[in-house]
Amino acid sequence: MKINPQSFFNFCAQHATLLRAIAEHSGEISEADASRLIRANPGASEELPENARRRLKELQILVPTEPGGSLYLLADPVARLLTYLFDEANPATPEMIRGYVLSLETTGKRLTRALDEEDVSAVKRAFEEISQSLQRIHADLDETHHAILTEVSRYKTERSRVSVREKFKLIVHWMERFVEPMIEIVRSDGPLRATFDETERLLHRAREEALFNDHPALARNLRFLRLIRDHALRVFTQCRKEIQPLYESLRRSSFIAEGAARALEKLQSEGIAKWGSEPLIGVCALRFQNVPGDAAIALALRRVIEHPPEPPPVLEFATEESMPDALIRRLWLDALPESVRPELPVEDLLGWLVERHPGKDTAQVLAGFTELIFDTTFQAAFTDRAPLGYTTADGSLEASPVQLISA
Amino acid sequence: MNSLPHLARIFERLKRGYHLGPDDEPEFSALSSPRFEEYAAQFDALGLKLVRHEREFFYFEPDNAESVPDTLPRIAVFSYILIDHAANQGRPIEEFIFGQNFLLTTLPHFELDRYQALLRQVDVHEVKDLENLLKHMERIGWVKLEDNEEFRFLRPFHRVFTKCLELSAAGSSRGNEAQTSETNQSVPSSAAPKE
Repeated sequence: MKINPQSFFNFCAQHATLLRAIAEHSGEISEADASRLIRANPGASEELPENARRRLKELQILVPTEPGGSLYLLADPVARLLTYLFDEANPATPEMIRGYVLSLETTGKRLTRALDEEDVSAVKRAFEEISQSLQRIHADLDETHHAILTEVSRYKTERSRVSVREKFKLIVHWMERFVEPMIEIVRSDGPLRATFDETERLLHRAREEALFNDHPALARNLRFLRLIRDHALRVFTQCRKEIQPLYESLRRSSFIAEGAARALEKLQSEGIAKWGSEPLIGVCALRFQNVPGDAAIALALRRVIEHPPEPPPVLEFATEESMPDALIRRLWLDALPESVRPELPVEDLLGWLVERHPGKDTAQVLAGFTELIFDTTFQAAFTDRAPLGYTTADGSLEASPVQLISA
Repeated sequence: MNSLPHLARIFERLKRGYHLGPDDEPEFSALSSPRFEEYAAQFDALGLKLVRHEREFFYFEPDNAESVPDTLPRIAVFSYILIDHAANQGRPIEEFIFGQNFLLTTLPHFELDRYQALLRQVDVHEVKDLENLLKHMERIGWVKLEDNEEFRFLRPFHRVFTKCLELSAAGSSRGNEAQTSETNQSVPSSAAPKE
């Protein structure tokens, strides 16, 4: 379906932030995702979210992942346009560069044949193809360089909570996926250099055999060849220099973290008893153990021999003249149940205690009261009669009478 | 040999497990001098191996004692937890450890239940226990207590990193974990762990 460019660009002009949000969304986009993005990034004009979502599909900005499907992707041409507009570089894969090199080789063969056959129009076509391939290689190399540098600086400045090991894996990915293979391709004895040398030889031959008279185009291709040849190796060597320190630092940190994690995992799963000595960092601790010398033994013996005899200690067993207060108190408390039992039921327990034991102080009276209440052979009942006053040896108490009966 | 400077003082400190680093002058300069081999020979005669770590600090090689002091597992767990925490923050470990002063009360050791459970296994239950541990680490020259709360790690703490690298290499060579083999596949041959 043809898309009206004016409609397309009008929509884009009013929804630049939405397009950027869609471009930054990784993976497939559901209807709900699209609605959420539209609400979060409203357009310049007042527009219903449903309309914006419909227009995204009509203008083929979002295309279904499969015919009739409900999941969408940002259309590839739009993604490329946004990448260009937002100056966000996407790295070219080594396979893409190898593809260009192969394409140059094939074009070189056609150029050789055209030169052999003196086919001027075929020579011209081969020149145009070579020119296009060189432009693509140059653009892609530059974009890859840009992307790698952006990634490196992002890692240097970002303080997100991505673990060291995850960061290391990503850096290894960049090194292995882009930097090292690119250097393999563009180095002085690599396939790019060999193809370029052959292409340059053919261009010179075309000029010498006067089969191609567009000298500015010829000179431009030769210039481009030399520029890319020199530039490519330098660019990726620089990339490696940029990424190498980060790689080294993260590599070491990653292994340190892995070692610590292994030790902790083992402790967690097997316990301290089976942790063993492998994870421990030994520290020297010298302990001096000496056999006692003759002089020390002689001294010890002399001390024993010369120790003056002392009579054994004599323990004096004497009966105390007065009974301790605590014992008297205990005996009184122990005798209370038997003394109250013949008088049960007692209508006013506190009154009975104060009357029968007038010399007892408040603490003793209350201790006796508690002893009788908690005695298992009695049952105490609290009454709601009017409070009465009770005088003890050292004070007075006021309480409602408590009845004590046999349990 | 007898004229080796500070020999007695160096021996006195090293025999207690102390690690002599740049903060320990004049002993450190004495050992860093070209006469290191003479010191090593002197101690070798006593059956003690003086180690010069590649990060430039010195200690006596520990013997393989049958009984392990309680403090060693505590120090190990304390250190591994701190490294684990740094790794989870995405920070280069050494920059994290040596690039700042730490506050005892803001250490991550009691932040996670997992860390607390690990510490309980080595009888570390509260901040006070960590404080005692740090005092012990100061006695062996791994940390410097600035005051009651603040401390920093000293160069000899590199021994922990060396141990971690050993554990990582041992784990990789045993290949007993799927994740390890996955890492090995993605790591260039030049990335083999080494100190």
